[in-house]
Amino acid sequence: MALIEFVLVSVALLGVGIYGLAVKRNAIRMLFAVEIIINAANLNLVAFSRHVADSGGQSLALFSIAVAAAEVAVGLALVVVAYRMYRDIDIAKFRSLKG
Amino acid sequence: MLEITTTPLVIMAILGVAGVSLPLAGMRRPDLRHVYAGVSIAALLISLGYVAYQFAYDMVQPGAVFDADVLADDAFGGIFAIAMILVAIFSVAGSISYMRDQRYPAVYYSLILLSAIGMVLVAYSTDLVMLFVAWELMSIPTYVLAGFMKRNPMSNEAALKYFLFGAMSSAIIIYGISLAYGLTGSTNISEVIVGMAALDHTMMPLAILAAGLFIAGFGFKMGLVPFHMWLPDTYEGAPQPITALLAAATKKAGFAAAIRIIVMGMAALHLDWALALGIIAVMTMTIGNVAAIMQKNLSRMLAYSSIGHAGYILIGLAVAPYTAAGLQGSIYHVFNHAVMKGAAFIAISGIVAALAVTHIEKIKGLGRRMPITAIGMTISLLALAGVPPLNGFWSKLMLFGAALDSGSVVWWGPWLAIAGVLNSALSLAYYGWVMRKMYFEGEGEKRVGEPRGVIAVMVFSIIFMVGLGVYPDPVIQFVEFATPAFVVP
Repeated sequence: MALIEFVLVSVALLGVGIYGLAVKRNAIRMLFAVEIIINAANLNLVAFSRHVADSGGQSLALFSIAVAAAEVAVGLALVVVAYRMYRDIDIAKFRSLKG
Repeated sequence: MLEITTTPLVIMAILGVAGVSLPLAGMRRPDLRHVYAGVSIAALLISLGYVAYQFAYDMVQPGAVFDADVLADDAFGGIFAIAMILVAIFSVAGSISYMRDQRYPAVYYSLILLSAIGMVLVAYSTDLVMLFVAWELMSIPTYVLAGFMKRNPMSNEAALKYFLFGAMSSAIIIYGISLAYGLTGSTNISEVIVGMAALDHTMMPLAILAAGLFIAGFGFKMGLVPFHMWLPDTYEGAPQPITALLAAATKKAGFAAAIRIIVMGMAALHLDWALALGIIAVMTMTIGNVAAIMQKNLSRMLAYSSIGHAGYILIGLAVAPYTAAGLQGSIYHVFNHAVMKGAAFIAISGIVAALAVTHIEKIKGLGRRMPITAIGMTISLLALAGVPPLNGFWSKLMLFGAALDSGSVVWWGPWLAIAGVLNSALSLAYYGWVMRKMYFEGEGEKRVGEPRGVIAVMVFSIIFMVGLGVYPDPVIQFVEFATPAFVVP
């Protein structure tokens, strides 16, 4: 496959992720959207890394997978605490802070 | 090859050892909360001392160094590291009384230390991989810290909103990094910049997308309009010492990364982004200051004022291609803003700890109830407004002067200065209102005990703000030493 095909898939995934973040208000769906963007970046990194024959991109992809896992662990913990308090995970309904 | 005595490595070792051992100790002895706070402050002070020692013995290279390593021991990173470690010390000192009823104190302080490592590494990093990992090391602990009061719905909501926007910003940054890597075949910032300068014209759209993603990603942390929506909610709901850390330190890490990447990369791309940054700067400061006037909650008001200050700092980045004073003004204001905003939020944390109020109507007579906190708050508000002879005046003068200087090259330069001066005048209006409530309203209040940690922070920041306002020369020389040369390749 040519490099451009990987890049097109990756840009499409970026679009899906940004759509999800802009439109959805469910915390878990927004978390999914973030994960999709990170994986689009990983796809880019691995494809480019193979194209330029440099292993730096693949190692960055590994770092990014590990870091994204840590981030999701924290995020899910926050969502669980929010669910215990509100019995809901719709962030549009969290309204104790406004002004 | 990096020396083992390189400043960021030593700081990482000191804070890392303290940060990892605190939770281990905390599992056995959860009752020693003052000891844990003391250990954190000691570790941070030793790190600060090490940075100062490196500067004192001329072991630091001036400006920003871009070499093949992942970290550079340069003055640019050093000035940011000093500001961030100071704010982390403020935050720990403010937490002692604020978090006295929370469980797991050791974990709390250890997260502040780990986040401080991340911030320092962001400021020193010269490689995009390092920058990304450091960025996450800075961010992930602050998500937990913002929601640390887990029975408190406001704290949880603040943390969740902060987390979603923060995760979005890091996803956008890693996508930008992947494009920059694809275009130039390297993750080293200097090689990326050189590669971008030699880029083929057909690849330009991708390069512009990458630059835009970087601006959006760092812009979320910096609180630039239109990426500022999360900021007032998070700053209001999070524990106030953590708000100080977010407003005064993680925001500055965003500017450190932006100066290293965006400003240098813009020059490489031969693009005229300066006007776009100028427009964002004016929008950011105007929206921040106008919204601040309408706030009834003290920490929410300062959150909007913090958005306004991001706008002032961005003026310097916008005019950086035209005058050397631009970046100097930005770095100087970053340094001052860290102390001013840190002190203001720590003052709020003291007010919450002693009186449990943040509403502006309820701080009437604070000048009699908590005199030291009130005077610290007043001086930091005056410094934020840029009243001479406080330190905020000099950095604003340098920023607005740089904008006027750039008028000889670009027609819109002086307008940035005019917008900045008008906004400063506007900000004095709502700061003045707070001061009026503190000193000229309310009667017969009794003095209450002020938390000792807060008093220490107030005394230090009053000396800092007044001292470096009356005698600003050493800091100005330091900033000139630390400012990277802006060369268009």
